[in-house]
Amino acid sequence: MSELIDIIRSEDVAVRNRSVDDWGEGKSFDELIAAAAELEAYRHQETNLYQRVRALFFLHVLHRYHLPRQPELGDSGRVPYPAFQRLLDRRFEDAIGVLLKMQEKQGANDTLCSALGAAYHALAFQTLANQVRRTVRSTRGNAWMFRMGHPTDQPLRVRPELIPQSAQTVSLPMLVERTAVRMDLTHCAWSDIFFLGMDYPEGARVLNVSIDLGVHGRDPATRPPVEAYFRVIDEPVMRLCSVDLEASVCIRDLEEVFDFGRDYLGLLKAAVIAAGIIPPGIERSGATLADLLGRTFGPGRGFELISNVNGIPKGSRLAVSTNLLGALIATCMRATRQIADLEGPLNERDRRTVATRAILGEWLGGSGGGWQDSGGIWPGIKLIEGKASEEGDAEFGISRGCLLPQHTRLGHDRIPAAAREKLQQSLVLVHGGMAQNVGPILEMVTEKYLLRCVEEWKARGTTVDTLEAILQHLAHGDIKALGAALTANFTGPLQQIIPWVSNRYTERLIAEVRAEFGDSFWGFWMLGGMSGGGMGFIFDPARREEAQARLLEIMTAAKRDLEASLPFAMDPVVYDFTINESGSTGALRAAPEALLPVGYYRQMVPATLRQSAQDLTAREQNDLAVFTQHSQHDPALREALPELLGQMLPSLSADTDAESNLAGLLRANGFDATQHEQIRQELRDGRIGLAMNRLPSTTKIEDLESRDLFNLREAPADYAQIGADALAAGELAIVTYAAGVGSRWTQGAGCVKGLHPFAKFDGQHRNFIDVHLAKTRRTHAQYGGSVPHVFTTSYLTHASTESYLKNTYEGAFGNSIHLSPGRSIGLRLVPTVRDLQFAWEETAQQKLDEQQQKMLESVRTALTHWARSTGEGADYTENLPNQCLHPVGHWFEIPNLIKNGTLQRLIEQQPNLRYLMVHNIDTLGATADPAMLGWFKSSKAVMGWEAITKRVEDHGGGFARIDGRVRVVEGLALPREEDEFKLSYYNANTCWIDIDALLALFGLTRSSLDDPSAVEAGVRNLGARVPTYVTLKDVKKRWGHGQEDVFPVAQFEKLWGDMSALTDAQSAFALVPRQRGQQLKDQAQLDGWKRDGSAAHVASLCDWGS
Amino acid sequence: MKVRHALITAANPVQRTLPLQILVDRDGVPRSALEIILREAAGAGIEKFCVVVCPGDETAYAEACGDLRTQTEFAVQTEPRGYGDALLRGQDFIGDEPFLHLVGDHIHLSDVTASCARQLLDVAEAERAPVSAVQPTRESQLTSFGAVGGKLVGGDLPLYEIDTVLEKPTPTVAEQELLVPGMRAGFYLCFFGLHVLDQQIFELLAKQQAAAPGGSLGLSDALLQLAGHRRYLALNVAGRRYDIGADYGLLTAQLALSLGGKDRDQVMSHIIELLGQPQN
Repeated sequence: MSELIDIIRSEDVAVRNRSVDDWGEGKSFDELIAAAAELEAYRHQETNLYQRVRALFFLHVLHRYHLPRQPELGDSGRVPYPAFQRLLDRRFEDAIGVLLKMQEKQGANDTLCSALGAAYHALAFQTLANQVRRTVRSTRGNAWMFRMGHPTDQPLRVRPELIPQSAQTVSLPMLVERTAVRMDLTHCAWSDIFFLGMDYPEGARVLNVSIDLGVHGRDPATRPPVEAYFRVIDEPVMRLCSVDLEASVCIRDLEEVFDFGRDYLGLLKAAVIAAGIIPPGIERSGATLADLLGRTFGPGRGFELISNVNGIPKGSRLAVSTNLLGALIATCMRATRQIADLEGPLNERDRRTVATRAILGEWLGGSGGGWQDSGGIWPGIKLIEGKASEEGDAEFGISRGCLLPQHTRLGHDRIPAAAREKLQQSLVLVHGGMAQNVGPILEMVTEKYLLRCVEEWKARGTTVDTLEAILQHLAHGDIKALGAALTANFTGPLQQIIPWVSNRYTERLIAEVRAEFGDSFWGFWMLGGMSGGGMGFIFDPARREEAQARLLEIMTAAKRDLEASLPFAMDPVVYDFTINESGSTGALRAAPEALLPVGYYRQMVPATLRQSAQDLTAREQNDLAVFTQHSQHDPALREALPELLGQMLPSLSADTDAESNLAGLLRANGFDATQHEQIRQELRDGRIGLAMNRLPSTTKIEDLESRDLFNLREAPADYAQIGADALAAGELAIVTYAAGVGSRWTQGAGCVKGLHPFAKFDGQHRNFIDVHLAKTRRTHAQYGGSVPHVFTTSYLTHASTESYLKNTYEGAFGNSIHLSPGRSIGLRLVPTVRDLQFAWEETAQQKLDEQQQKMLESVRTALTHWARSTGEGADYTENLPNQCLHPVGHWFEIPNLIKNGTLQRLIEQQPNLRYLMVHNIDTLGATADPAMLGWFKSSKAVMGWEAITKRVEDHGGGFARIDGRVRVVEGLALPREEDEFKLSYYNANTCWIDIDALLALFGLTRSSLDDPSAVEAGVRNLGARVPTYVTLKDVKKRWGHGQEDVFPVAQFEKLWGDMSALTDAQSAFALVPRQRGQQLKDQAQLDGWKRDGSAAHVASLCDWGS
Repeated sequence: MKVRHALITAANPVQRTLPLQILVDRDGVPRSALEIILREAAGAGIEKFCVVVCPGDETAYAEACGDLRTQTEFAVQTEPRGYGDALLRGQDFIGDEPFLHLVGDHIHLSDVTASCARQLLDVAEAERAPVSAVQPTRESQLTSFGAVGGKLVGGDLPLYEIDTVLEKPTPTVAEQELLVPGMRAGFYLCFFGLHVLDQQIFELLAKQQAAAPGGSLGLSDALLQLAGHRRYLALNVAGRRYDIGADYGLLTAQLALSLGGKDRDQVMSHIIELLGQPQN
């Protein structure tokens, strides 16, 4: 048995916890290949799930990190298209089969290794997720719902107390469930991830506190922040209403219940299904909703379910959505006798049942949370721990731990009342305003756990000890020590496991609070997956009130300074909180107390009033009567009246403001209305579109051979000397594309990618611009001579980039650092249905797991409807003005340098300037390498293009011989999807330019740069020779309390790579090492980028000055 | 142990005429449902019967007893205070004897020579323990019955030692509480409407009634307590029960009786004729 298999299977903890990285140290290429083959064979015959998953992670690590370091590994290879397709279809096992066959044929190479690494990684997570789902389905109390296939099978019956006695009843009887949210007082090092708890139950421990909340300064008192209302109605329908999301729906069709993405009520639908009222087994049975509801509620009856959240924004890290789901499920289960008591708190069995159903609901809704998230259903403070599986458990024999942990309530004997009071008097709970996707973090944590990465594993051990310490401090009421332990946890083990949990915003807040409050600031505590959203600051109680006020100011100011560089979803908030000692509690309300939330009436009453009195249903009449009756003495309802009446009148003012802002921006940024109309017409007529981006199908596409490229690794020594001399003579300037917001990087959040402080260098968070300038500083220090650095900007990035450079690089800005503002802008359009369908159906798409895919398909149907109803090709204006505009592609960046006078100023400032090195903001390894400069200078080409060998994640084009000519080709221009997989070289998008030769191509010279008409004509003429592409971009629209929608919108681009197709401009091509040419497109890449040595490599290129 | 007495509950005020309905039995003889129930017990060796009825129903029920009228006494439940309370009304009649308990709205048909009641009495007499007849029931019907959880005793008979009794559980609760090894997924052992009990059940019921005077008294809680006190068994009888109070229950019971009896062919031909008629 190989050592790796021994590590996986060993009963000896010391062996089992050995890190694979530790094992791989010093191993030869042949040893690694042999170990991979053994693991591959082993995983197929291993029956234990977690051992199989661990083998998959080991295989991932060997292919992603260990093999690529081996010099014997071939550089260049191709990922077979069938393997890529299978990866997208989530058929990972098949994909691995195809890749291994190809490896046998081609030999191991970096490209195949990357694909195998990705496939093993994805298969490991797929296996884990499937197991959790299987366990959720087979958990006792859940399984019956999956067996139900016909309305007559429905065993649930509503409680008679909820049946309306007559249509004349003043109000319908209703159930109200009020539930706390939870905070994790330890930060458990993410040990509440299901996979961890199920494999390492002894290490899965959290201290979980149920709390009531109020927004400081807004709410007079704290209260359970989550409410669910349930009532039986005399209509055979299901009415769902979310007060906080201002959405409601009346469902008459059974299949619509399972359509989660159709509206904003997916959580409520998931609750109804998970509660068994509409059991999951009945989906697609052909049954009618009325028949099914009739079984439970009686013929002709249905029900209404209403959710209400007390104004807590998304991303609070307080598990609001899981606890809301729990409240909704609990009320549905009370109504149908699945919970013993109709009113009052839940008993332990019922709480566990609700928690399991909430997990089921999260799975159905395609979301996911940790196992402690439903903690708000339980009362007070509790220790939640992983539970080893035993005979009789659904998990026994499959995983070491159970899906659901065990909850031990810590009574006043363990945590005295005084200690609880002290905690409440010291802790300031806030939402910092950032809302980020923590999914990648949770994947990183799981992977590092299963691999037992050395430092991270030690850190995990420390967090387990920290919990004990925190428990002791809390028991003794020593909140100061508790604060210190939490701070140490955040700065130590948590950042050791995941460095990306901290950010510049959080660290600034901590520093400012510490500076202002000194010894009265007792500690910082991060809630949830990462910092910036829900956070806790612990103070001396004497200064807590002052701290609440100041923290809001400090956070607001920091947000204002950083909102261009970090993804903020909302303004920061300070909460008031109290410990909730009851847990989820139900109450039956009958007239006259059966009052719904004010927001419900605000939402529903206007529509009711628009109907004539005789058309109103009994329910609507009742609601109006209750509302009228209560608004006479209830101030909250009285206050809602003017707004309610206002809603009945059409309002124009807000839309008009947004439109005038947009018009101003368009005017200010050189929007060409004539060209825009022409593009719209062509788009509507089908003359342009995604399908039209492609080259003719008869185009001959061939891969390059190695002799087509200069290989930097084999550069003759004199190139370095030629380059060094040129640098010393001031012949080079660097141009960094920084006009885009990096929508993939921040998932459409709209902040400036170049300014995102994404990683720590030299002890501080630095952004992309900092890193590029630090490299330029080093070049200058090494070779002398001035290397001007230009950042191109757009309307989206100019002001914030300028402000940052002015403040941070005060002396250099305007001298060696320049900005080249954009001079072109586009207005996004509502896409055509044809393009949407092309994007979703004709291009290869990443398939998601079953439930997420269902959500996605449902969202796509809604988006198609949106495009049709809004008008295909119409201007996209239903968003913030900045989100409606778009940059028009990086082809325009170089013409902009000419048009806006930047190039002319550079030449005047540095007459020796002859070359430009142009690169993407995220190509962190790009430097003014003298050997590259020497090569390009010697090539006498107009443009020199840098390539890297392809890895599976490198999409979007590459280098090819197109109809006999070597050039850069965009992925979207290739006639067939699979053509891209014939190519071995990927475009690093770093381009060397001979300034004078390029000017000649524009029909310009250095001396004609100051002639605007010559410049304009030159740019227009050359622009006409490169293609215009239509693309779809996902744009976020934010609304409510941190809620977001994503819309695909159409826009137009010209891309610089197409310059290589010009027959009258000589291009040269070079192969550079991966670390020089790779790009950081997605924050999920950061961890691998650090682990594979790329971060250290970039750090070695930088000079941070004094 | 010899069981000579039977206690039949028929005091549900919303179903007080059900046991009086006329069915044609397996021999083709029209009889009331009550008479069919009594005859099953008599065939199993029961000598004396007590029927618990609503006030004023005695005469009608007496007429419905047929030949067994002379061996039958009546007890009256003056107020509808639950199934358990109905049983208590028969305590004086039963005395200290063990007894067979049947419900007035269930007809039982055996799959074997011995009647369902006889199968149960054989077990009770052999094991010297209270025993309830049960039948594996689909989870969709759970909320109509009491249900038990327990483990197989072993041996030739499908006999279980009961550890849990729940009245009309939801499947959510049943999946968690009513574990029976060997039972098919989605099926639970539900009461069959036949029990052999003794005077201890009256003690338990009386205690519960004293603890909550004036409330409705069920039987399942007392049976659960019984399981906590002593060995209490469940027999999966070879037969079927027909709840004549359910939707189409009377019709189903009649069809079952006829298809299992001498008029099978005649009834089959009627059914086929009906099936062949066009639907409007």
